[in-house]
Amino acid sequence: MASETQAHPPADHGHDAHGHDAHEHGHFGPEMWVIPEASGLVAEVNEKQRTTPGIFRMVLYAGAALTILGIVGFVLKAMTAGFSDHRAWGFYVATFAFVFTLTASAPLAACAFRFTKSHWRRPLSRIAEIFSLVSIVNILLFIPALIALPDIGVMTEGGEQMVRRSIWFQELVNPSGWLLAGMVGLSFCSVAILWLAALPDMAQSRHLVTGFRASLYGKLAGGWYGTKKQWQVQKGGLAILGALYFMMVVFVQFLVVSDFAMAMIPGWKDSILPPFYTVISFQGGLAAILLVAYAMRRWGGYRDMIGQAPFWAASKVLLGLTLLHTYHLFAFFITYWYGRLEVEQAILNYLMFDSYIGIFWAQLFFTFFIPFPILVSNHARREGWGAPLAAIFIVIGLMLWHIRIFAAAFAAAPAELGGLYYLPSNAFSFPAMLLPVPGATFPDLWDIFMILGGVGIVLLVFRIGMMLLPPLSLWEMKEGSMYQRVDTLIRGRYLVLTKPE
Amino acid sequence: MAMPAILQRMRDAISPPSTKQAILGLFQDAESAANAGDALKGAGVPDTDYDFLTDSPYPEGSLGEREEKHRLYLYPFIGALLGLSSGIMITAMSQVAYPLVTGGKPVLSLPPMAIVCYEGTMLGAILFTVIGIVFESRLPKFQLGIYDNRITQGFLGLRVKAEPEQRYEVIEIMNSAGAVEVKTDE
Repeated sequence: MASETQAHPPADHGHDAHGHDAHEHGHFGPEMWVIPEASGLVAEVNEKQRTTPGIFRMVLYAGAALTILGIVGFVLKAMTAGFSDHRAWGFYVATFAFVFTLTASAPLAACAFRFTKSHWRRPLSRIAEIFSLVSIVNILLFIPALIALPDIGVMTEGGEQMVRRSIWFQELVNPSGWLLAGMVGLSFCSVAILWLAALPDMAQSRHLVTGFRASLYGKLAGGWYGTKKQWQVQKGGLAILGALYFMMVVFVQFLVVSDFAMAMIPGWKDSILPPFYTVISFQGGLAAILLVAYAMRRWGGYRDMIGQAPFWAASKVLLGLTLLHTYHLFAFFITYWYGRLEVEQAILNYLMFDSYIGIFWAQLFFTFFIPFPILVSNHARREGWGAPLAAIFIVIGLMLWHIRIFAAAFAAAPAELGGLYYLPSNAFSFPAMLLPVPGATFPDLWDIFMILGGVGIVLLVFRIGMMLLPPLSLWEMKEGSMYQRVDTLIRGRYLVLTKPE
Repeated sequence: MAMPAILQRMRDAISPPSTKQAILGLFQDAESAANAGDALKGAGVPDTDYDFLTDSPYPEGSLGEREEKHRLYLYPFIGALLGLSSGIMITAMSQVAYPLVTGGKPVLSLPPMAIVCYEGTMLGAILFTVIGIVFESRLPKFQLGIYDNRITQGFLGLRVKAEPEQRYEVIEIMNSAGAVEVKTDE
């Protein structure tokens, strides 16, 4: 690959006027900026896809095994607990929300960094977009969660309408239709982004692949020649769909966290929670992308296509999101702590300082106290391993966050008349509830199976996506090689960029 | 894959078959391709009759090509408008049909209606954008026209639709500009 020739100084620049090795004087190693040669990129990436490294095969098998375990757990849970009591499904909903959080925001990273015309994003774009395939799984995972969600209203024997507080307009059944429509719309948008972004790559690879992929590429990329108009429509389409995806993902996250967390804990009214959830979703999405990119670079044979620069640049964004996460957590806490209402104290005790105190502190360590020093270290960021290391802790921390919020929310109160939820439909006030504070809930064996299955299905679907589609955005990498080169300035080697727009 | 006969007839009805022939010149570098484009323009070939085929998006105007216009930005607005109208109708009509007071709020209260209206707006905009992309890019096509796989390796294609009498002149222009190969659709 020509990354070597571009990443290292050419022979005639190897020595400066003082007889020093020029590249020894730069502070950036040869792996910082890797700019692959455009001409052989399509063939080389296709060849890399064919020769799957062992670790990727392991990911596929592990993903499949965990998915089967999750299905077994789900079936046994449904048979033993049924869907009539939502409290049995808290860990399932936490697992769904965790998968949704991590995967729904990932495609947004490709759109957002493309908007800002960052060159370093190029090797990360396709990885981010392949997460769109997991969004189809999100729809399937969402359906049982919708079935478990209690109705908004019930009718008493005397004919009185009793409703629980929700964001929906007046109806008695649960808002499954609207929630599902939102999730389907989001998935449709993300898959459309993936298709449009991968269109030129599929067209360019169709003569190199055989079998199912050849047929798939032929169908999905039929008619793509790479004319000026097609490139312009693709660029415009990605911009519009990216903007719509941002507006949609934030909305669906608002629906999920409002209906499956906030509305399930009586008396929890929190304007910070939806943006908080969005921030952690951005954080989790970026962490997931960096983990995959690191695995591809370290073990997948893509070292000559993915340099350290994407990790260096993305780690600063991850640091910002980690700080925002912690800020929102503090803002949530301080508002309720100052408010001092009985219900606010009860919610703080339930989610933070009493029932779930252990998981709260563990989560705080994983999402802030451990990744923060790693991400602050310039050395760790620049060497390329800092951001993926921090990402591992962040992903574990976010799993704990979802258990603390969603599993706790589903276990907070029974959905029955005279219980904590349902009030007369014309009642104005909202009495103090959640007293006494309920204890923590713990997963049973089937819950643990389902949690593992949630992780497994992400691994499985993502790996299949990497096998089906070019795992790097070939046209963007080629475009990048047109606009970037590594050159000598005095005694250092630096990246020279062109910004045509 | 051959186009089904019925679709061929429909296409011919919309736009009658042209007598023009497709010619593809293959260039190893952008400078030669741009020179060929300039020479075609100089020879009186309308700039709507030739297209540069590239494996990545080149900066706009860098090959001296015509400015392309598309109407993709209209589609999301139309979709959003239709989605918003549907959202308003569904929420208003269902609330009027099944009036249920919650928390003492009016039956037709805007905040909960806004959620469904927003969702309808977004779904409409997304759907119409995808339709717009398919339509504006002229995708899918049942038959891949004249092309060369070397374009995927960084070569540039210059595809010209030329009248039969212009054919040899166009081929000559491309060869003079440094085309590594010139193909025709015969």
